[in-house]
Amino acid sequence: MSLLASAVLAAPAPTPDIPAPTIEYGLLSPMLLVFGIAVVGVLVEAFVPRAHRAAVQMPITLLGLAGAFILTIVVATQDITPASGQGWGKLAAMGSIGIDRPTLFIQGTILILALVSTFMIAERRTDEGSFTAQAAATPGSAAEREGLLAGATHTEVYPLVMFAVGGMLLFPASGDLITMFVALEVLSLPLYLLCGLARRRRLLSQEAAVKYFLLGAFSSGFFLFGAALLYGYAGSVQLGAIARAVRLGPGGQYATEVYGASGQFAQVTVGSNALLMLGVALLAVGLLFKLGAVPFQSWKPDVYQGAPTPITALMASCTLVAAFGALFRVFYVAFDGLTWEWRPMMWLIAILTMVVGAVVAVTQTDVKRLLAYSSIAHAGFILTGMIAADAAGLSSALFYLAAYGFTTIGAFAIVTLVRDAGGEAGHLSRWAGLGKRSPVIAGAFAFFLLAFAGIPLTSGFIGKFAVFQAAIAGGATPLVVVGVLSSAVAAFFYVRIIVLMFFSDPAPDGPAVVVPSVFTSAAVALGVAATLVLGVLPQSVLDLADQAASSLFVR
Amino acid sequence: MTVLAEGSYASPTGQEIVFVLLGVVTLAAAVLVVTTRRLVHAALWLVVAFGALAGCYLVMSAELVAWVQVLIYVGAVVVLLLFGIMLTRAPIGPSTDLDGANRPAAVVVAVALAGVLVTVIVDGFRTAYVPSARASSGAGSAETIGAALFRDWVLPFEALSVLLLAALIGAIVLSRREIGPAETDARRGGGEGEG
Repeated sequence: MSLLASAVLAAPAPTPDIPAPTIEYGLLSPMLLVFGIAVVGVLVEAFVPRAHRAAVQMPITLLGLAGAFILTIVVATQDITPASGQGWGKLAAMGSIGIDRPTLFIQGTILILALVSTFMIAERRTDEGSFTAQAAATPGSAAEREGLLAGATHTEVYPLVMFAVGGMLLFPASGDLITMFVALEVLSLPLYLLCGLARRRRLLSQEAAVKYFLLGAFSSGFFLFGAALLYGYAGSVQLGAIARAVRLGPGGQYATEVYGASGQFAQVTVGSNALLMLGVALLAVGLLFKLGAVPFQSWKPDVYQGAPTPITALMASCTLVAAFGALFRVFYVAFDGLTWEWRPMMWLIAILTMVVGAVVAVTQTDVKRLLAYSSIAHAGFILTGMIAADAAGLSSALFYLAAYGFTTIGAFAIVTLVRDAGGEAGHLSRWAGLGKRSPVIAGAFAFFLLAFAGIPLTSGFIGKFAVFQAAIAGGATPLVVVGVLSSAVAAFFYVRIIVLMFFSDPAPDGPAVVVPSVFTSAAVALGVAATLVLGVLPQSVLDLADQAASSLFVR
Repeated sequence: MTVLAEGSYASPTGQEIVFVLLGVVTLAAAVLVVTTRRLVHAALWLVVAFGALAGCYLVMSAELVAWVQVLIYVGAVVVLLLFGIMLTRAPIGPSTDLDGANRPAAVVVAVALAGVLVTVIVDGFRTAYVPSARASSGAGSAETIGAALFRDWVLPFEALSVLLLAALIGAIVLSRREIGPAETDARRGGGEGEG
C-alpha cells in the first residue's frame, strides 16, 4: 500500500518550472479593489433576497469606489522610481500596466466621477429609479407591466458599473496593446448592456444598446487591425518597444531582436513606413471612436439619448476620461517619435470635432442629444490640448477632463429631475419657463451651460484657457482660432436655452421638477461646487495636473 | 549557407502550397457566409471557414491556436449560432430580406480595407522569408504559449476572465424573466414604450 502510494506520488515527471510572474499588487490595488467589489456584487445578486439587494449593493459600490480612490492617493504618495532612473512610475505586472503620475491622476478622476454617477444610479425617487424592471420583457408587454407594478429594478446594474469602471481604470494604464484591447472590451461590454436598461422609452434604449454594440465591435476590429500591423512593424505590442522600433526605423527592431538569434536573417529588412502609418491610423480609429471624435461620432447622440440618464452621465464623464487617457498614453509613449506624422491628422480631427459638435448642436431639440453634441465639441477642445504633444498639453487636458466631468454629470442629473408623464421631459420646448417654476434647478442648469460655454468664473473657462494656451505654445494658433469660433457658436445655443428657461412663459401642462433624494441632490451640488471652485480657485488642481503631467508616462 | 538554400517564394514547399490552398478555401467560405440566402447555410459555411483557418494555423505550426480555433470557434461559437437560429424561429428556407440597402457601400468599404491591408502587408514583408522548418521549432506549442500566458501575459489573461464574468451577468440580465407570466404576448410586443 505504501509502495503504491509512493509510486503514485513519484509518478509525475518533474515539469519544467515556469518562473512566477511578478505582480505588484500594491500598485494595482485600486483596480483590484474595484474588480473585487464587482465580484462581491455578483455574489450579493445570488444570495441576498430581491427586496434587500439595492440596499446592500449601493453602499458597497460607493464604499468600493471611495476605497479605490483612497488607494490611488496612497499609491501616488509612494516613492517609485522607474528603471530608467528619472521621473516617477513603474511598469508593473510584467509590463502590462504602467503606473505613473498622469495615470494616477486619470484613475483618481475616473473614480471620483464614477462615485458621483453612482449617486445618480442610486436615486429611487424619480420614478423608482432610471432602470427597467425587467430587461427581458418585451416593451409594452404584460410581463413588463407586472414587473413595474412589483416595483422591481435591476440591481445587477451596480456590479456591471463596477466592471465598466474597472475596465476604465485599466484602459489608460495599459502598458501594451493586448492589455489595452482587453481593457477596452471590459469597459465597453457592460456599457453596451447598461445602455439597454432604461425604464422609459424602452425601444429607444434597446436601439441605442444595439447601435453602440455593433459600432463598438466594428471599432474594436479596427483597433485590433492596427495593433496587428504595429506588431508586424515593431515585433512587439509593448508601447515602449514600439517607440524604440519607431526610432530605429523600418526593420531595425527585427534585425536586432527577432531574427538576430540565428544571425542569418539579420540583414533582412522587414516592415515599411506604410505598415507603421496604417497601424497608427487604424489604432487611432479604435481610440477616437470611444471619444466620439468626428468622423466617428455618429453613435454618440443616439446612445446618449437612449441610455438611462445615469449611465449617460457615466459615459460622458468617466468613459471620456478613460478614452483620452489611453489616447494620450499611446500617442505620447508609442508614437512619441512620430509627432510630425500624426499631428496633421489630429489637427484635422480636432477641427472637425469642434466645428461639427458646435454647429450640429444648434439644430438639436432634445436636451440629451444636445448634451451629446456638446460632449463631442468638448472632445475636440481637449484634442486641441493634445496637439501640443508636451507636458503642458497633457496637464491642460487632464484639468479639462476633471472639470468637464463634474459639470456634465451635474447637467445630466438635472435632466433626470425635469419630468412629465412620459418620464424625462426630453424636448427642449418643455423646458420653457422652468426658471419661473423652480429657479434653483433652472439656475443650476444655467450655471452648467455657462460652464460648457466657457464663461469666466466657471471651470469651463479655465479649462478652455489652459488647453488653448498649451496649443498656442505648441504652435497650433490656427487651431485655437477655430476653437474660439466654435466656442462662440456653442455659446449661442447654450444662452438660447437659458433665455428659454428664464424669459418665456411656462406651458400650463409643463413638466414638474421632482424633489430628489439626497443622492441626486449630492450629484448636482457636487457638480455646482466643482464647477465654481475650479472656476474661481483652480490653482491647486492646476498644480496637481501640472505635477502629474510633468513626469509624463512611464515607458 | 547561401540564400538559395534557404528557399524563397519562387520555389514553394509542400507546406506552403497547402497553406495557400487552405487560405483560398477560407476566403471562398467566408464570401459564401455573407452571400448565401439561407441562415443555416451561412452558419455551416462559417464552420468551413473556421476549420480551414485552423488548418492554416496548423501549417504554420501554431498547434495550440489551431486546436483552440477548432474547439472554440468550430465547436462552441457555431453551435451557439445554430442554437440561436433554431430558438429564434428564424426561417429555414431562403430569406430574401437579408441584404440591407447599404450593401454596395459595405462592399466598397470591405474591399477597400482588404485591399489596403493586403497591399501594406505585402509591401512590408515582401523580402522576409521564414522557412517553415524554422517556424516549427516549438514556438506555437502549448508549452511555449502556456509559459508566456501565465508569466508575461497573466494580467490581460485574468482581465479576460473578468470580461467573461461581466458578459455572463449581462446575458442573465437581458434574458431572465423573474416576474410575471411566461411570454404569452411576445408576438404582440413591439408597442412603443414611450407611454
